[in-house]
Amino acid sequence: MAAPCRRMANRSLLQFFSHFSRTAVRNTGFREFSSNSVCRASLQTKTVTETATSPWTLVAAVCLQRLPVISADLHPLEQEFKEMMLQMELERSLVSDHELRVLEESERMSRKKADDYDSDEEGSQGNQEIMLAQDMEDAWEQKLKNFQLAPRVTADIDKDLTSAQRCLADSLFLLAEQQVGREKLWLLPQTQWQEGETLRQTAERALASLPGNTAAGFKATFLGNAPCGVYKYKLPKAVRTESTVGTKVFFFKAILSDSAPPTSPSLLWLKKNELQKYLKPAYSMKVDRFIINM
Amino acid sequence: MSLVLSRSLCRVFSRQSAQSSFLFGEHHYAVQSPWFTPVMTIKTSAPLSMEPKKKKKVDPRREQLARDRLKKKLRKLEKVPPELIPIEDFTTPTKCLDETRARIAPSLSFQESERRALLLKEWSRYKQKQHMDEMQAVEFALKAQSEALEELKLESEELYKAALMPDPHLFPIVHEGPAYTPSIPKYEAPDGKYNDVTKVYTQ
Repeated sequence: MAAPCRRMANRSLLQFFSHFSRTAVRNTGFREFSSNSVCRASLQTKTVTETATSPWTLVAAVCLQRLPVISADLHPLEQEFKEMMLQMELERSLVSDHELRVLEESERMSRKKADDYDSDEEGSQGNQEIMLAQDMEDAWEQKLKNFQLAPRVTADIDKDLTSAQRCLADSLFLLAEQQVGREKLWLLPQTQWQEGETLRQTAERALASLPGNTAAGFKATFLGNAPCGVYKYKLPKAVRTESTVGTKVFFFKAILSDSAPPTSPSLLWLKKNELQKYLKPAYSMKVDRFIINM
Repeated sequence: MSLVLSRSLCRVFSRQSAQSSFLFGEHHYAVQSPWFTPVMTIKTSAPLSMEPKKKKKVDPRREQLARDRLKKKLRKLEKVPPELIPIEDFTTPTKCLDETRARIAPSLSFQESERRALLLKEWSRYKQKQHMDEMQAVEFALKAQSEALEELKLESEELYKAALMPDPHLFPIVHEGPAYTPSIPKYEAPDGKYNDVTKVYTQ
């Protein structure tokens, strides 16, 4: 709050002096000019000292998201609607080639089984196919049954919070246990900002410096240079000094592009509704805003 | 007929004169009578062999003019606008217009039609709620981002400007969307054969 006030005061000073220089007589104008330049120089030094002594420590965190791998289960209403649509589409459609063939052959079979069956009449219709349409359908069903699909839901992997393969239908977010001040907290991986790097580079460093990160590391695509959220907290009054009032944590979004990322016991992959159990309430309030569960 | 007679007479005389004029070899022709000019001499007549050909300047020009005229005619023919490629999706194939394929529309009971109408209304309400929730989530995210940028601006101008810079390496993003079942690890897909029967049109 102090920073903008100081800047405002400087601006008004400058305006005052420029007004003076415009209205003053020539011989006095020179003096005003010089005093103006002095003022401006002092202004510049003041801004420089402002940025150097900003009371907030900057920290960048990364919100790594594993997007869903399989489609979500259908809501009961969605299931009902899907069935109804299929039914309606079937009613309004035309008969397909395969269906016509099935009908023909069923008629032929019924005629064969009738008592007054004359095979000479059938001969005029052309050759009898070797494979009946019904047989083909059975063969196709058999083939589908023989093919082993990977299961959509595996209960044991779902319970393992450290695995990135759990809950394939939802998007998961990475949480790490890190030392903040004196406590160990569960939060989105973060590190402190250093001079000479952008905040995004800090976030990338935060991701790379996670424990359990081998040479391969997490292959993540950062979505842009701008932070997606901020969380600022003031240090308890006992620890507060002139230079550090609190910390501002800037969050950066990233998408995991690796299918098998490295696992470690200090890293958790959680769904949005599970995050609240591990995060502090104020922190989770800020984080929930930019985490879109879609 | 007269020519043939003259020729035969000539031969007879030449034979006779050959015997008599054997001594006067080169003046063979001069000895014969003036009525029978041998036919062979016509081909070697002087005026036809000695005149030079005058086709050097005029004819190339004429040929070029003829070629230009032909080219103009070709261009006029080619000015016809190119045939439009037919959009195969817009023409209903004759298979669909076949009457034998028409399905008998089943008569729905009152209950069934009611159920369908009510389900459609439920669905529209569900979808509307879903859409509104999505829009709100996006708005919250945008708000959070603008707040973060404001805080960053208060901190330092440099970092703020760096945050506003567009990322050139971001696009194109490639991501495989969700399927119904997860991919089988280390699955070898069998090679397939197919006949590509798409019609390719050239204008």
